[in-house]
Amino acid sequence: MFTQQLMNALAIGSVYALTAMGATLIYGILGILDIANAGAYLIGAYLGWYIYYGTGSIVLAFVLSIVAVGILGILIQKFIYSPILAKPNTLSIIPLVAAVGLFTMSSDLVRLICGPYSLSYNFDFGVTSIKIGPVVLVPAWILIFALTAVLLLILWIILNKTKLGLAWRATANDPEIAKVCGVNTNNAMALSYILGYGFAAAAGIMVGILYNSITPALGEVPSYKMLAIIVLGGLGNPLGTVLAGLIIGFTEVFLSAYTSIPIPKDAIAFVVLIIMLLIKPEGLLGQKNKI
Amino acid sequence: MKKFLSILLILCMVFMFAACGGETNEGGEEGGGEAALPEVIKIGFFAPVSAPSAAADGLSSLNSAKLAVKLINENGGINGSTVELVDMDDGLDTTEAANIAEKLAYDDSVVAVVSGSYSGPTKVAAPIFQEAGKLMVSAYAVHPDVVNAGDLIFSQSFPGKLQGTAAAIYANDTLKAKKIAIISVDLDFGATQIEAFKAQLEKMGSDAEIVYEQAIAISDSDMSSAVTAAAAAGADLIYSVNYYEQAAQVLREVGQKGLDIPVLGTEGADSFELLNIAGEYANGLYITTNMNRDDQNAETQAYIENYEAEYGIQPDMVGASVYDAFQVLFAAMKEVGVDTQAMRDYIAGMQNFDTVTGTLIRYNEDGSAVKPVQIQLVTNGEYHSAGVIDDMEVIDPANYQ
Repeated sequence: MFTQQLMNALAIGSVYALTAMGATLIYGILGILDIANAGAYLIGAYLGWYIYYGTGSIVLAFVLSIVAVGILGILIQKFIYSPILAKPNTLSIIPLVAAVGLFTMSSDLVRLICGPYSLSYNFDFGVTSIKIGPVVLVPAWILIFALTAVLLLILWIILNKTKLGLAWRATANDPEIAKVCGVNTNNAMALSYILGYGFAAAAGIMVGILYNSITPALGEVPSYKMLAIIVLGGLGNPLGTVLAGLIIGFTEVFLSAYTSIPIPKDAIAFVVLIIMLLIKPEGLLGQKNKI
Repeated sequence: MKKFLSILLILCMVFMFAACGGETNEGGEEGGGEAALPEVIKIGFFAPVSAPSAAADGLSSLNSAKLAVKLINENGGINGSTVELVDMDDGLDTTEAANIAEKLAYDDSVVAVVSGSYSGPTKVAAPIFQEAGKLMVSAYAVHPDVVNAGDLIFSQSFPGKLQGTAAAIYANDTLKAKKIAIISVDLDFGATQIEAFKAQLEKMGSDAEIVYEQAIAISDSDMSSAVTAAAAAGADLIYSVNYYEQAAQVLREVGQKGLDIPVLGTEGADSFELLNIAGEYANGLYITTNMNRDDQNAETQAYIENYEAEYGIQPDMVGASVYDAFQVLFAAMKEVGVDTQAMRDYIAGMQNFDTVTGTLIRYNEDGSAVKPVQIQLVTNGEYHSAGVIDDMEVIDPANYQ
């Protein structure tokens, strides 16, 4: 049972890491707790579903949905967040309120356009499960592990091996100095939104396949749980987010499997966060260790 | 000429009084006979249509309410009067539910109300309707505070404790479970049924033991750790007290992991949504519910047929219960008109009334419905009858006060 629970934890931890990655990238550069990223996750899952049922290709569903939601991210940054942040002495709560508004609007729009009932991907992997000794692996998990690894690798390459990535890191470190040094901070910000919203779309599709169900309420849990994960990971640190996602996944799975503590599973993320902040207020890896 | 004008004036006055008489809300003659009815009978209705987390149930409720009104009007209305639905959206928000209740309760043109909402909004609205002297029939809210609000409040649903008791009887007597794992939603809905389930096992002197128990937050879709732990504990039955989304995830986990453990669910899993999400893994699921799709009762089959024709999807327990609430009101209005007290007395005295969700044996003094518990089994992706529990000792809500 222990090994099986270990795999369960790894799967759910990967889902958390991927779900929170989008918001992490945006916080890293703009300092905005972008709850609207949960809306991108929702819209991505729905767009993916329509593309999958329209074309029959899950690869196209991922690619087109990631691109479309990434473009949506740029539009939101350009027409909503940038004007808000450009105003002098903007209180930090204002973009947060805008993000909450955008998220609520996205849930309602999806409900009004697509209806309230659940939609199922019914994606056929060809096999129900794979048995390796005492462990049973569900194919959707393997897709999640593989996709999480590939997306994180792409992210690492973009941020560390490209000029745009260098601009992103410079802007994330200090936007004013980066601008003075000739870095195109607008491009860096746009990159954040393309990646941030694209990641969210990919996570939405994967969760849709994993649970075979998407509803207009899909973004509700990520909208608050991703906050715990990105704060725990060190606010804007992608590697920290992966670690935080895994830690919360493991804690949830093992506490619910081996104990009967009267804490709702969803609250465990926040209990872990509080304990961690008391011990290490800068988060797991802190902002200085950004990849 | 003067004489002619006088006669004309008198005739006009006679017609005017006759017309005014037709618009009064008086009714009240009990037991047969057509009571005076308004030309348009307005029935208030509220459901959580816009709350993303409850909108599927909200829409099922609203669809059924509209269907009930459409069909009654197509069949000549209520003794010739047209029924009009005044539908409101509570958004699963108790403050909004209170506002809606105030609006409907003090709108004199609304003669009665149906709640197509959850326990939270319904138990907030119930005392407002009681206070205002307006009749309300709740379709599927399970909280006891709904009917406890007063004598003008009725409920079509059976209490959670009753359902938990019936589940224990079925698990022990029919499924012969010896090691039971409980995976339940961390809400009143789960807690009350589990409590009754365990109490009944003990009362029966069952040798079945609870080998694993886990309460899951309503927002949680991940059942992997709970199902793995249940299997590791050697469970030969999983009692899944969840709504359809989570119940479907329990079934998917059991099926995908290749576990041979039957699952017993509740009316929360009585939805076409569960069949869509769980797919082939839904086969073999038992549930305790109030809707029997195999019931050859004309009402049930006509409802299923009409609903599918109107909306292109299968009806669910929530929608069926709303439809029934309207049928109860229509029956009362046909017999005694729209006087609140007369309708209340008529409904309180109803016996063996055929509804879509089975025979309504009677209402208890507190206004809760007495009806058999249906056991449904999913086979080939459809719900079918797998038994009924109709022992009055078990199905009388008065025994669970």
